[in-house]
Amino acid sequence: MNYMPGTASLIQDIDKKHLVLLRDGRTLIGYLRSIDQFANLVLHQTVERIHVGKKYGDIPRGIFVVRGENVVLLGEIDLEKESDMPLQQVSIEEILEEQRVEQQAKQESEKLKVQALKERGLSVPRADTLDEY
Amino acid sequence: QSLEDCPLDEDEDAFQALGEEDEDIDQFNDDTFGAGAVVAELEDKAGSSREPDGPVGNDGDVLGDPEDALAERLTRLVIDSELEDPAIMQAVHTRDPPQPGGLNSSIWDSSAVLRRIRGPLLAQEMPSVSVLDYALPQRPPQARDEERDPSERALPRRSSSPIIGSPPVRAIPIGTPPKQAAIPNFNQQILCPKPVHIRATMQQRYPAPYGERMSPNQLCNVPNSSLLGHPFPHSVSPVLTHLQRAQLLGGAQVKLLPAGRMSPSQFARVSGLVGSPLPSVNPKLLQGRVGQMMSPAGGFRAFFGAPPAPPPSQLPHPPGPGSHLQNLRPQPQMFRPDTTHLHPQHRRLLHQRQQQNRNQHRSLNGSGGDRGGHRSSHQEQIRKDPYANLMLQREKDWVSKIQMMQLQSTDPYLDDYYYQNYFQKLEKLAAAEEVHGDGPKKERTKLITPQVAKLEHTYKPVQFEGSLGKLTVSSVNNPRKMIDAVVTSRSEDDETKEKQVRDKRRQTLVTIEKTYSLLLDVEDYERRYLLSLEGERPALMGERKQKICDMYDNLRGKAPGQDRPSDDHFMQIMCIRKGKRLVARILPFLAPEQAADVLMATARNLPFLIKKDAQDEVLPCLLRPFSHVLYHLPLGTVTSLVQQLTNLPQSAAAPTNLHLTAVLQNKFGLSLLYLVLSRGEELQSSDTNTELMQDNQWTELMLMATRELLRIPQGALAKPVSIPSNLISLFSRYVDQQKLNLLETKLHLVQGIR
Repeated sequence: MNYMPGTASLIQDIDKKHLVLLRDGRTLIGYLRSIDQFANLVLHQTVERIHVGKKYGDIPRGIFVVRGENVVLLGEIDLEKESDMPLQQVSIEEILEEQRVEQQAKQESEKLKVQALKERGLSVPRADTLDEY
Repeated sequence: QSLEDCPLDEDEDAFQALGEEDEDIDQFNDDTFGAGAVVAELEDKAGSSREPDGPVGNDGDVLGDPEDALAERLTRLVIDSELEDPAIMQAVHTRDPPQPGGLNSSIWDSSAVLRRIRGPLLAQEMPSVSVLDYALPQRPPQARDEERDPSERALPRRSSSPIIGSPPVRAIPIGTPPKQAAIPNFNQQILCPKPVHIRATMQQRYPAPYGERMSPNQLCNVPNSSLLGHPFPHSVSPVLTHLQRAQLLGGAQVKLLPAGRMSPSQFARVSGLVGSPLPSVNPKLLQGRVGQMMSPAGGFRAFFGAPPAPPPSQLPHPPGPGSHLQNLRPQPQMFRPDTTHLHPQHRRLLHQRQQQNRNQHRSLNGSGGDRGGHRSSHQEQIRKDPYANLMLQREKDWVSKIQMMQLQSTDPYLDDYYYQNYFQKLEKLAAAEEVHGDGPKKERTKLITPQVAKLEHTYKPVQFEGSLGKLTVSSVNNPRKMIDAVVTSRSEDDETKEKQVRDKRRQTLVTIEKTYSLLLDVEDYERRYLLSLEGERPALMGERKQKICDMYDNLRGKAPGQDRPSDDHFMQIMCIRKGKRLVARILPFLAPEQAADVLMATARNLPFLIKKDAQDEVLPCLLRPFSHVLYHLPLGTVTSLVQQLTNLPQSAAAPTNLHLTAVLQNKFGLSLLYLVLSRGEELQSSDTNTELMQDNQWTELMLMATRELLRIPQGALAKPVSIPSNLISLFSRYVDQQKLNLLETKLHLVQGIR
């Protein structure tokens, strides 16, 4: 049965493996088991995948119930294409370590940037204080 | 409660009826959260109180009476029971008040408080088990009536939703090891209580075919299923001692003589949390006993990264279950949780072995094999994904019904403009294709959105007899003002200059937005005109005209009786990117004089505009509408236009013509100039009896203009959007051949020289 042609309905996606990107930046991969009208998702055999550079690590999470408003996007995973990925899988500890290192590096560079701007008398406006007009 | 109470057909009809009822727009909302859910609760209590448990029912009766009396009193009080607002609960005496059950019935029980639900769906709704009942295993359904407390009813139940199909919560202790080596006591009360609410499919399920295999959601719904007091071994320590295994097997034999039942040990494999293999249970043994096999434990592994399942030899694959149970959609991708991380070689081997086993198995179960033969694809799918179809067809329909309801609209062009346009475009393409190509007509499914007539709901407040005033109940359709927000307007004095500027800009923005709304309406009139009746059309035209006037007024600023004093207002709008686009879109609708006015104003202030547009570069969007306007202008206007544009004649004192320079250096300016010149030339050449005055003016102007053009260095010239072809003939009138050649090269007037 072709549910709602021409629309973005998740019904056809049920029981398929999906990648879900959440608003807090997490990436979940799991089998989409159930949905509702708010696009709340029930993910089965979910794995949280952390990417750092060319490496990634999977943290098994079990069953996830995601509130619809927190989903940025989701897409079906092609199981065949999944097997040949250019990325390298590493262990959880390793990827968490890599992530930490990456965060640190980012913070450092951010700090330097702010410092440099301050020296020049400029200030980076924070997003909440921006007044367009 | 029984399977037989499940009317499959009724449900479907009910759903359809639901879709057709347009007065209960909030029906689903009600069902989920409001009165509908509560009534469903009542119905199920009514159902359960029909049970032979006598004393409980009687108690209910006693309590029922005073509540009925209250209901009657309330009905008498309420004059206007015809509330338009479906979101407000009415006090209506229902004819057949369902028996409130138990001593501790809450206020929700009272029929007097509930509106009679008109939907057929709910009237025939199956008594459903509350979530909490389901989750607490020790309480059998019969005992439910006894200890009711309101807190249990805190969750409004969805009357139209089936029970969650996953195995009972208690039975899967996720992440915690079993406290003791749990020996299943098969005689004890079922872990998963017999679900009272049986899904439609279960009816067919009952004559369980031999050799059938079940997925977890099926297991829950089979009476006397093997979810009986079985402690789920989970991922951490699934190891059972010999004794346990023996008992499991023994239990299996005892319990599962009737064909088509699951053995607990098999069920152990069903659990998705079996991390490592259960090597103990000999598949062959079970096979002989029950003739029913589960898919490999590996297939149920919870997480992708877990080690692969027990060696393939241990994992026989059964012929699939009757697929009539499940609405299987053709699944292009196979669920392969256990093989995602296997090396391709390994995967192939595994697959081969699986095939072998499947063939082996087929030979053992003759009848199973027959059935399995022509349903192999389904079997494979189910074999590989035992958790498939947790979401039933009915639930999917429910969700898609809600989605369809959301698409209902009284004015689709208003609510969903982009989709409508997109769809039209697609259809045009398809039609065009069909015309050109003689290929077979492709069957394309179209989504038909239901058109709902606009209903005017006026809220009439409820009135009690003998009282003064009206009782106002605030609801979704009649919201009450909760906050008294007072708008304080500032006085002019204490504003700083910056604030004034900012406010002025904001006012301009508001004007732009208002004018845009008018513009969208005006643009829409054509469509409305086509859709409307004959009688309405003059009114429509009048409206349209009025709106156009309003737009123009907005653009130029309301003239207080006198002629346009300043271009200030217009300039403000033109400084903003959106304003320029707005003007471009409005121009086609304006009368010629009004349009000319706009053009004039633009030309007059062009250098200023150019400066302001430096970042946006949106001015060229005005070229096309301007050219259309030019087409209708007489020579006199054109002349003055050129005057404005070029700022000629200049006073002798002015050394340089900055105005003209700015114009020429800007893409838009130069293009506009060319357009105007071209138009002038057209008029000149075509119109034989033009006024002499005008002619002279034009000629003088042209002479001056050409002189300026000759003077200006080539590098300073901008690149125009387009060069009209008649410029050469224009210039040829006013300059000699040598200068003409110069002009030609400078302005790239000759075709081929670019």
